[in-house]
Amino acid sequence: MKVLVPVKRVIDPYAKVKANAEGNGIDTTGVKFEINPFDEIAVEEAVRQKEKNPAITITVVSVGPDAAEEQLRKALAIGADEAVLIQTDEDLDSRAVAHELAAFAQELQPQLILMGKQATDNDANQAGQRLAAKLGWPQATFACAMEFAGDNLTVRRETDEGEETLSLPLPAVVTTDLRLNEPRYIALPGIIKARSKPLTKRPRLTDVKSQVRTVKVEQPAPRQAGVRVNSVAELMAALRDRGAL
Amino acid sequence: MEQGGSFFGTTPARITTVADTSSDERLMIETAEQFSLNEVLPLVDRLEKQEPGLMPSLIRKAGDLGLCGIDASDQYGGLGLGKNLAARILEFMSLDAAFSVTYGITSGISQLGLTLFGTDAQKAQYLPRLTSGEWIGAYCLSEPNSGTDALSMTTRAEKRGDHYVLNGTKMWISNAQWADFFLVMAKVDGEHVTAFLVEKSMPGVSISREEHKMGLKGSSTARVILENAEVPAENVLHEIGKGHQVAFNALNIGRFKLGAMSMGPARQAIMHASGYAQDRKQFGQPIAEFGLIQQKFADMAMFYFVAEAMLYRTGANIDRAFETMGGTPDGNRKAAEEYAIECSACKVFTTEAEAAIVDDCIQVYGGYGFTEEFPVARIYRDARVSRIYEGTNEINRIFLADRLVRKLGDGAKAAGDSFISELAGRTMAKFDKNQEILGACSDLLILTFAEQSARLRAQQEGEYGQMCYDRFLNWAQPRAAIFAQRVLGEAVALPAPRPGHTEPLARRLYETRRPS
Repeated sequence: MKVLVPVKRVIDPYAKVKANAEGNGIDTTGVKFEINPFDEIAVEEAVRQKEKNPAITITVVSVGPDAAEEQLRKALAIGADEAVLIQTDEDLDSRAVAHELAAFAQELQPQLILMGKQATDNDANQAGQRLAAKLGWPQATFACAMEFAGDNLTVRRETDEGEETLSLPLPAVVTTDLRLNEPRYIALPGIIKARSKPLTKRPRLTDVKSQVRTVKVEQPAPRQAGVRVNSVAELMAALRDRGAL
Repeated sequence: MEQGGSFFGTTPARITTVADTSSDERLMIETAEQFSLNEVLPLVDRLEKQEPGLMPSLIRKAGDLGLCGIDASDQYGGLGLGKNLAARILEFMSLDAAFSVTYGITSGISQLGLTLFGTDAQKAQYLPRLTSGEWIGAYCLSEPNSGTDALSMTTRAEKRGDHYVLNGTKMWISNAQWADFFLVMAKVDGEHVTAFLVEKSMPGVSISREEHKMGLKGSSTARVILENAEVPAENVLHEIGKGHQVAFNALNIGRFKLGAMSMGPARQAIMHASGYAQDRKQFGQPIAEFGLIQQKFADMAMFYFVAEAMLYRTGANIDRAFETMGGTPDGNRKAAEEYAIECSACKVFTTEAEAAIVDDCIQVYGGYGFTEEFPVARIYRDARVSRIYEGTNEINRIFLADRLVRKLGDGAKAAGDSFISELAGRTMAKFDKNQEILGACSDLLILTFAEQSARLRAQQEGEYGQMCYDRFLNWAQPRAAIFAQRVLGEAVALPAPRPGHTEPLARRLYETRRPS
């Protein structure tokens, strides 16, 4: 059984970032990049499923710059079997990424696409849903548990109303939530083994253009110091002055 | 390839630095850091009480991740990745010093004699159990009356049929309580220093009670008592009478690695102190904004930068030496000896940098730093021994000046090099009278190596490096002048100081605070 895990190269979510000089993006000098943490959970889940069922083969794919090889190697070190880098230096929007992934999935024919519910850089939370729609496959988003059951997949997902359990026929798209698992430490022998696993680079499969354009990126205004008031009356007056009441 | 000691007189075109770390290597280092943060640090209080079984279980976990056999050969369960990467990983496995000692010894110096000098059968018997973390190893050289003067040991080995009988007491043995395997130095017939591979289960091997230490309380330190201990003759490592080669070459590499083991706790202390300085407010603002606090952080940044420059330059050179000369016991010995001078220089500089850093971190915490409620007091106590073990910094100073004279002396004397001749006149044979001057010579050599390493690293690594290098010169030049005056007996002029970059350097460290 083939499992496809798309992973995105993102700025380390714990890094302190600032706007670049042109004001159209983030200044990436000296900034560390990581696998999108939700995607790392997807890789971990795929590897855990493979440990239960050795017939699974895991392909990781990234749509991004050459440097994304680093994140793909990490996914291989965690336990994926092969990696594909669809090369582009453009910052594609969710729709364009979904088109790319759909074209790749039609070629690979996986039974399951497992991916992060969103990427921590732009938090769009769209690629998985758009991909499922494009392929016409069932989808389960925000998975917090999953299990194969015959030809179906059982997925528990967290919603505002409570926990939902879904049964999906395969092939399907599942997007992962934080609680699905906790990614393992990457064992050193796995890192060495990843060096010899196949990593293929290829050009884009479609010519779909981004429809979303980043117009401006700016630093949030620094927070102003507060004012101390001594009584409720003073507080009310201050609020009235500022037009808050 | 740079030759050992060649920093004195020549400058290489470039050196290996942490910036040369490959993405694979970074992943491995990340595993080590995550392991320390998530597995070791939360247990520090329980480790400090020596909860039974806890430390060995951590070593086993590290072994499961491949962390206990980084530079051992892959035939025997190791990864064969070399000593420089092993040291980088060790730096990040050393965020807690007590764990670091346990791990460093079992994954390093206890295995090293075997990997350098062991027969295939000896390696096959012991290395897989050590690299997997199933067994913990220890290294036994010191005795109650034989520390720095190691060859005065009195532990004896007598041959009886197919085994040796060992008698004596080995002191300050790290990992003693938990170790299953001991690399023991003893004198065959009371004369010929020889290395033995000893198992805890062999008859006549016992362990004393734990020493009551100032720091590193989570690590085990005890005496290993050999009372008619029976060790099979095939467990002689290397040759009879050549145990000093095993002991001292393990120590050379051990000194280099101790450098990395000292930087880990220093890094941890900096991260704690930088968080504290930014949170603690006095006079209405974070103390991190005050110039004298920033000065401390700028110094810490500088020491860290220079120490790393020296360490990973040396480690890369050691790896290259093993690649070109290693393979046989004799080749391995030569490779391990090649950079003995640099290993000692790294040991002295990094452990003294660690001391300065942790001391400043206590000062940043003020009164709170003097209590055990905050983590820096423990780091401070733990750090004190770094300047004592793996050869005191004093014997390392004597040793490195002596080695340089022997290595370069004849050629340099012929060329009329006054510094070397000065040194040559004051080597081991006469050091009783001249130790203070010999020490000053050594300090000059260490500063020379530090300066050159920092300069090259700064050239390769841009603005931050240049700031650290400028600050280092301001710190080092007055010291060098004092040492030079001591040697020459006359005043030495100082160059003009450079900008100290206090605030930008301090702010760089403020960014490293650990998210609480």
